[in-house]
This record gives sequence, C-alpha cells and structure tokens, in this order.
Amino acid sequence: MTPPAAQQSNNDILVVDDVVVRFDTPDGSVTAVDHVSFGVRPGEFLSVIGPSGCGKSTLFNVIGGLLGHTEGMVSVAGVTINGPHQSIGMVFQEESTFPWRSVTDNVAFPLELIGMPKAQRIERARHFISLVGLDGFENRYPNELSGGMRQRVSLARTLASEPKILLMDEPFAALDEQTRLLLGDKVLQIQQQLKQTTLLITHNITEAVQMSDRILVMTYRPGRVKRIVDIDLPRPRTSEIVGSEAFGRYVAQIWADLREEASRGMRDEEDHMMHPAGSKS
Amino acid sequence: MADTSRVTPLAAPAPVMSPVTLLRIVIILTVLAVWELLSYSGWLYQDVVPSLLAIGGALIDLLTHGEYYFNLAVTAGEVGTALLLGGSLGLIVGITLGANRFLSKAFESYLYYLGPTPKIIFFPIMIMWFGVGPGSKIALGTLSCFFPVALSAAAGMRQIDKTLIRVGKSFRASTAQMVFKIYLPAMRHPIINGVRLGLGVALIGTLLAETKLSNKGIGFLIINAYSTFDMPRMYAMLIVLFILSIGANAVVGRLGGLDTIKRN
Repeated sequence: MTPPAAQQSNNDILVVDDVVVRFDTPDGSVTAVDHVSFGVRPGEFLSVIGPSGCGKSTLFNVIGGLLGHTEGMVSVAGVTINGPHQSIGMVFQEESTFPWRSVTDNVAFPLELIGMPKAQRIERARHFISLVGLDGFENRYPNELSGGMRQRVSLARTLASEPKILLMDEPFAALDEQTRLLLGDKVLQIQQQLKQTTLLITHNITEAVQMSDRILVMTYRPGRVKRIVDIDLPRPRTSEIVGSEAFGRYVAQIWADLREEASRGMRDEEDHMMHPAGSKS
Repeated sequence: MADTSRVTPLAAPAPVMSPVTLLRIVIILTVLAVWELLSYSGWLYQDVVPSLLAIGGALIDLLTHGEYYFNLAVTAGEVGTALLLGGSLGLIVGITLGANRFLSKAFESYLYYLGPTPKIIFFPIMIMWFGVGPGSKIALGTLSCFFPVALSAAAGMRQIDKTLIRVGKSFRASTAQMVFKIYLPAMRHPIINGVRLGLGVALIGTLLAETKLSNKGIGFLIINAYSTFDMPRMYAMLIVLFILSIGANAVVGRLGGLDTIKRN
C-alpha cells in the first residue's frame, strides 16, 4: 500500500490532509472517512473509487465545503477551506437543474450571483452550452430535455463559474450505459481542452479507468485510502480505449482491490439486515 | 374517390356550441323562468322574490350611480391591503417555519389550530383596536389571509429539492440570493395556491366584517339594502359581487396557469 503522505507534493492544487469525518448516530459515533490524505496535481484527472458505504460521497461534500470534517485539513492552492469555495465547482449526482430557468439562465446562474452584467453572462453561458454540445437548446427548459442533456446543463453551469477544480459526484450514475460512455467522452474532451483539474467520485471502474490519470481506491467503512493507481494510458482518450488490452489489465487490477472491499460491504449489510442495531437490546 | 369521402368528415358542420354549454344555458334559463313565475305567483311574501325586471332596474340604477363605485373601491382597497399585508406576513412566517425545524415544531401547530377557526369571532377585538372604519376590516381580512399563505409557504419550503439548495450553497449564494433565486421560484406553485386561498378568505373576512358593523363598503350596502327591505337592490349587488369574485379568482388562476405552461 502506498503511504498517503508520499503522494503529496508541493505543487498539488488540492490537498486533502489527514481528514477524518465522524457522525453521531443513535447507535454511537460512526467514522465515515478515516485519516484520508491525497493531493490533486494541476490539470490532473483523479478519480476516487470505492464500494457503497466507503464514505466517498462524504468526502465529496467535505471537499466541496458543504459538510464539516472532524479532523484534518482541506486546502486549495495553499488556502485552507471551511465552506464552499469559489475555486471548487461541484456537479451533483442528483437532478440539479433549476426547472424554472431556461438552459441559458441555468448556465448563467453562477455568473448572475457574482453580479456579471446580463449581456456578458449570456455570452459566457452560450460558450459553455456550446462546449457541452447543447447548441440550439439555449431557450429550452429542463423538462424538455433528456436526463443526459440535463446533466450536461449542470456540467456547463459549473464550468461557467470557471473553477480551478471540477468536483463531480457520480454525475452519470442515473444514466443508461451508452449515454454514460458517450457523456464520458464529452467530459474527457472538455477536460483535455480546458486542461481542467478534475476530481471524480465514482463506483464505476470502467468510467474511472477511461478518464483518469490516477485512481484512488478506498476501503469499505471506515473509508481509508487503500491504494493509488497510476493509469498510464495514452491521451487524448475516447471511449474506444475501453476495448484495449491495457485497459482491461487496469480494470482487473482495480477490481481485485475493490472486490475485497465490496464483499466486505455486502457481508456487513447482510449482517445489519439479520440483526438490526436496535433489536439487540 | 368513394373511400376518401367516407373518411373525411369535413362536410359535417362543427356544432355551434358544446353540449355542456348548451346544458348550462338551459339550466340558467330554467332557473330564471321559475324565479319569474314565483315572483308573479304571489305564493311567497311580496318582494322576497322580486321580478327580474325589478332586479334589472335596480342593477342599472346601481351601476349608474357613483355611490356604488365608491363603496366598491373601499372594499377592493380593504381586500387588496389585507391580501398584501396578510400575504407578505404569511410568506415570511411560512418560509421561516419551513426553514427552521425547531421553530416549526414550536409554533406550526398553532397555525393548524387557528387556521380553520372562523376569524369573524375576532371582529369585536379588531373593532376595539382599529375602530369601525376600514381599519378593522383590513385587520380581519389580513388575519384570514395570513393562515393559508403561511401554511402553504411552510409546506412549500419543505418540499424544495434539497439538491437545488446544495447547488446554491456550492456557488456561495448569499441568504438574499438563496431566497429570491432558489426558495421563492422553487415554491411558486404552493405560493400561488396559498395566495388564491388567501384571496378567497380575505374577501370573505372583509365582507363579513362589513355586514356586521361599518359605514361604507359593499358589505355595508348589502346589509343596508336588506334592513330597508330593498330586495331588488340587494339582489343586484349580490349578482355584481358574484361576477367580481369569479373574475378575481380567474385572474389569480390565470397567473398560476401561465406560470405552469411556461416554466413547468
């Protein structure tokens, strides 16, 4: 296992240092994230992968500043963050477009918040709408779009705020496999074009290997860093890489790591169903 | 070709009016005819059922005199002010209760208890506080309007998709931006519904108060016509009021409807 501290270098743009998150539940204190440390290099695409219940969504909320952590530190470009930070742009797993706003007004939302003049923000919004391939849908409302298109609107909205780090929590989880692969291509293309530093939280191995420079594998509860894998595949990449031999080796390697954790998670869940915490006393 | 002519029913003339419209007209005409017969029959005490001609005459008389419009303006002003005061107060209280679990647990049950209570029982207190003029009517209308708006706003606030709130926070929206750009637009349907209910009860509260104790307003005119036994005039005013209520409801409904079509 790689010692976490060795993964950090001075030019990391995002540093997660020894972060612990504990929750108080009726059954006592639960550690969701346990001494997690890693760094993200500028321009890098890093994925955090782990089974359900490994605390990866907790980590997403902590880095995004929506959730406090118990111990440790998160910093962006040397500045400690405690709360949402302008350098970090979040894309959520759930449906997150504003149904009462057109595509343009959705994408212009973060620009509106900082008081950018209307003409300017519409122009900027158009640029990012075009970037995610939604030209011609500028004046449509979210209920007139498909799930994949709405997720692209969310992505464009976050990109429009021009974050230093794009932070995504399973943005394609609700989509079907083919849409997911094609949307993955779109994200890769945009990421390479903008040299966008990206941190992707996912449970999907194919997705992680397809897009990442490095993959951080997390353990099942409590969430720790199990391993960090360098993905040495050529760029620019597309979803076609899914068929290559090297790709298959990476997937197998990561699955070997994950399998252990995922089955631990599954046993744990079954135990809980057999003996619910409340029924013991 | 013979085949085509069979499948094109273009030749059949479109009906002038739908069966429903026709039925409605028939019902109205029947009621009017029965009314008129009743008024000439002498079965009921004279003037309780005045003839349509008398009511029509009273209606014209009513609408051609400035006095009626003055009183209409008084009532409209009272209802409008009540809607504005009760509505904004309800909105603020509703949003606060919807946003804060502690306050909601502490106070919201009072809203549920007081909401269905007939507000007219507070009228004597309102007279003592605000006098017999428009003040006490506005107060009663405000009180009536407050509850449905507050309850709808509180419920609407809790129904807001949590993800949208997280989006706002992740973009570091200020409290004011959260309220005006996320909470209010996300709650537009329950709010419009609350305002619609609020308008109805504000109208009821105000008019009821006017019929009890007042010196101007439509409620006052109606009860005045009743106490001088000017039945045609009373019926004429009821008809106008009925039409105005339908109009007001349609306007608020239209506002909500337009919103639905345009922005889902």
